[in-house]
Amino acid sequence: MSIIHTIFPLLIIMFNIGCEPFAKSYSSTSNPKMYEADEYVSPTSNQDQVKVVTWNIRFGAGRLPWFIDSCGEKALANYDSVEIIMQKIADTLNVMEADIVLLQEVDIESKRSGFMDQVQFLLNNTNLNYGAYASMMEVDFVFSDGLGRINTGNAILSKFELTEAKRIKLRLRTDQSTLVQYGYARRNILKAKIPELSQGTKDFYVVNIHATAFATDDTKKQHINKYLETLSDIQNNNDYFVTGGDLNSVPPGSVTDFCENDKCDGEECDGDYENNEAYQGSYFEHFEGEPDILVPLYNSYESAIDLADANLPSHYSHAPSTSFKRNNIKYDRKLSYLFTNKTWVNGTSRTHQSAWEISDHMPVSSMVMLGNR
Amino acid sequence: MQKIRRVIFIFLLFSIYFGNAQNWRSHSSSILSKKRFEVGIFQPFRYGYSETLEYSTYPLWFFVMPNLTLKKSHENFSGYNMATKWSLFYPRPLLNMVSKKGIGGFIDPTIKIPPMLGFSFSLILTRPMLGMDMSFKTGIDIGLASDELDHRVNIELPLLYHRLSVFHNNYGFHTGFDIEKSITEKLSTLVDLDFSILPGMDIKDTDSGITKLLGEYSFEHKALLIYEKSETFRFLTGYKFVFGEYPFGSESRVLPFLPLVDSWIPMIELQWGRSLK
Repeated sequence: MSIIHTIFPLLIIMFNIGCEPFAKSYSSTSNPKMYEADEYVSPTSNQDQVKVVTWNIRFGAGRLPWFIDSCGEKALANYDSVEIIMQKIADTLNVMEADIVLLQEVDIESKRSGFMDQVQFLLNNTNLNYGAYASMMEVDFVFSDGLGRINTGNAILSKFELTEAKRIKLRLRTDQSTLVQYGYARRNILKAKIPELSQGTKDFYVVNIHATAFATDDTKKQHINKYLETLSDIQNNNDYFVTGGDLNSVPPGSVTDFCENDKCDGEECDGDYENNEAYQGSYFEHFEGEPDILVPLYNSYESAIDLADANLPSHYSHAPSTSFKRNNIKYDRKLSYLFTNKTWVNGTSRTHQSAWEISDHMPVSSMVMLGNR
Repeated sequence: MQKIRRVIFIFLLFSIYFGNAQNWRSHSSSILSKKRFEVGIFQPFRYGYSETLEYSTYPLWFFVMPNLTLKKSHENFSGYNMATKWSLFYPRPLLNMVSKKGIGGFIDPTIKIPPMLGFSFSLILTRPMLGMDMSFKTGIDIGLASDELDHRVNIELPLLYHRLSVFHNNYGFHTGFDIEKSITEKLSTLVDLDFSILPGMDIKDTDSGITKLLGEYSFEHKALLIYEKSETFRFLTGYKFVFGEYPFGSESRVLPFLPLVDSWIPMIELQWGRSLK
């Protein structure tokens, strides 16, 4: 009898820890993974002006011709090269003297990037002290192209302590089969509070988003709507925020068809926007109103890069990684943005195009004014 | 052709999952009697060549992963029946088969897989104890590659990862025990625990002592209920639990696991055997 009393609880424990799903799914809001740097570095910057950066770092793969997004063959990056690129990313953030960093496509235990915890790496190699990470895709094993295990998502890194961090679920794509959808990206908005930057009774929040890239249905519209809702909640509470991310949307007034630039060998830009895969991620009019999808953001909040300048080549922040090799294009559109309901310091907003080799997205930075502290 | 390859691979994958689940005393030091053969859906074909020597091979595997195992019984040692098991396998064709683009691609096809040879030796000791048949085993695994093996050539899944990692570490050790107990004349149970280590594999500079020695280790445990309908047919069901250290940390799994419905299904195996005249 005593053997049964011992064995039965052991079996219950074993089945509980052993029966997790292969791909993780999330409730509407959940807790992100929180990080701290191994060594704390005291913030030395002027806390009335805080430097904010948004950057899709493409899991430290640089301009690798990856099989999903750039006509490539490779599923896995070279691990030595990932380390070199991650160090360059850390160095770039240090040179910028970033206080708050919004990252997209950060890997924490993916085979494609050598299972490196890139959030911890950046915290340990920059002056940033705290981190929050929300997974966009957490699959034990992707049975395709040798991709294997993947855990990638959004992160907020900060010199100041992050609290009340939340992962806010975004709607899944509806233009995929159930099987593909099961193992596909589960995008999110990552929100956190920085108590140290509170303005009197007003709290200060950071909000990071990576909206859908390849959907051909109205998923992007739903993502931006949820983003707007999250920001207005903060605004309606009379609190402050800085926000940004990779919205995978072009500014109002931009060209909307990049198919000729992005297409792979053998693909044709035939005008079949719904069915031709060449238009996934390269065409920005999949649903009515898509070209103006960011107008409410520009109307409601202050953009680091003014709408008048947003379509200038000096603010292009992205081109697929093979565009340079194929068409000598380093960047040809703007997808990364920063907004606030405070004020950006005049003349401090930059699109760091010199970093074009480190990722297929370039960082955008600006200094937010936190007066009356 | 593509579909056939996929079916073969899925079958092979199940063989790995269910393989060595249990057929007639394959885990113990017992040797099949002369001219008796046995085969299961997911089991190797075993043949008693003589009263002291047994051959076995996975017949379907043979074309994609040539393999052969010899098991030889020896004189009793301190009251234990003793046998040694020698296995040789060549996994390259199988790995090339799953190194492909698209669904079913377990390994990045842009990475070259060199010829590799795997060798495994086990010492098995068996004796009845407390009304149960107990078997203890221990041994060494050796993996050799003819050219540099890219560290990305692996499959980070339970059961597969630690077996393939031998080719990266060049050697590993395994040990374990099996307990078999009859419940009724036709019903019996089998419980086993296997432990394997890859000393020094994927360790950090700061690791020392036991962590360094174990490297990437794995525990595998299974429990089976066996119904022996006749001397030629039996039915098995149960579960397998795997806990291991991987490049991303440790992980536990109960297998087989049907990921899409988040539920566990029992492993079921049918086996046949008979003696040739």
